[in-house]
Amino acid sequence: MKWEAIAGGLGFAVVGVAHAFGLFVAPSEAAMGETGRMLYLHVPTAWAGMGSFLVAFVGAIGVLWTGGKRWDALVESAVEVGIVMSVLLTVQGSLWARPTWGTWWTWDPRLTTTAVMVVAFAGVLVLRHLVHRPERRAMASAVATIASFADVPVVYLSVKWWRSLHQPISNAGTVDTLMLVPFLVACFGMLFVCAALIGSRWRLAMSRLEREDRASDLPDRPVPLSLEGRP
Amino acid sequence: MNGVVEGGWGYVIAAYALSWGTWVAYLLLLKVRSRS
Repeated sequence: MKWEAIAGGLGFAVVGVAHAFGLFVAPSEAAMGETGRMLYLHVPTAWAGMGSFLVAFVGAIGVLWTGGKRWDALVESAVEVGIVMSVLLTVQGSLWARPTWGTWWTWDPRLTTTAVMVVAFAGVLVLRHLVHRPERRAMASAVATIASFADVPVVYLSVKWWRSLHQPISNAGTVDTLMLVPFLVACFGMLFVCAALIGSRWRLAMSRLEREDRASDLPDRPVPLSLEGRP
Repeated sequence: MNGVVEGGWGYVIAAYALSWGTWVAYLLLLKVRSRS
């Protein structure tokens, strides 16, 4: 059995237990009521998204440093998983914002910088589809990944830097144990889920890059058939 | 009311269902792509 299957199974089980506890055992939040139960879903998803982009950033440095296709495959896989998590994060946030803020979306600094982050990383995947030469594609997407990653700390610190409607960074000391435990367990489980998803996607990317390598041994265009030597 | 957001279970369930549905769908997609 591949390590991704074990990590994924373990991660989903841990996250599932934490979510069940957060939904049915933990008390409702003092101001947000039942909508506060999104905490156990929304924050771990946010960490998973930003963590995936951090992995992509490390992969991009690896590409620039070594030019190796293992790093290039890591960039492709981590960016894709990061986008899946970040789009989900945005939808979850929207479902939370409607009953609490009275709107599905507002151009708040946290929301705006998150939208910029998703669009920037989606641009990396588009770029990978547009550039066909493997070395050039690896370099271009590594540079684009590093440039896109510049927004990730801005997303995290946006609630500190600007007046934001979004909740500030929470202090664990002010959170009830019955809420803190499922929250931390869900975050821990999401680490495994993320690692499993990136690992599975990395295998796919590697097999495609290797197929591409083998194909590059072929001539650029078909060689015309020679009639020489025919009677 | 006491300033507490009332209701909201529908939004909570929708968010959890959508997220778990997406994760499972993405996993299945990766599995299908690895076989093709």
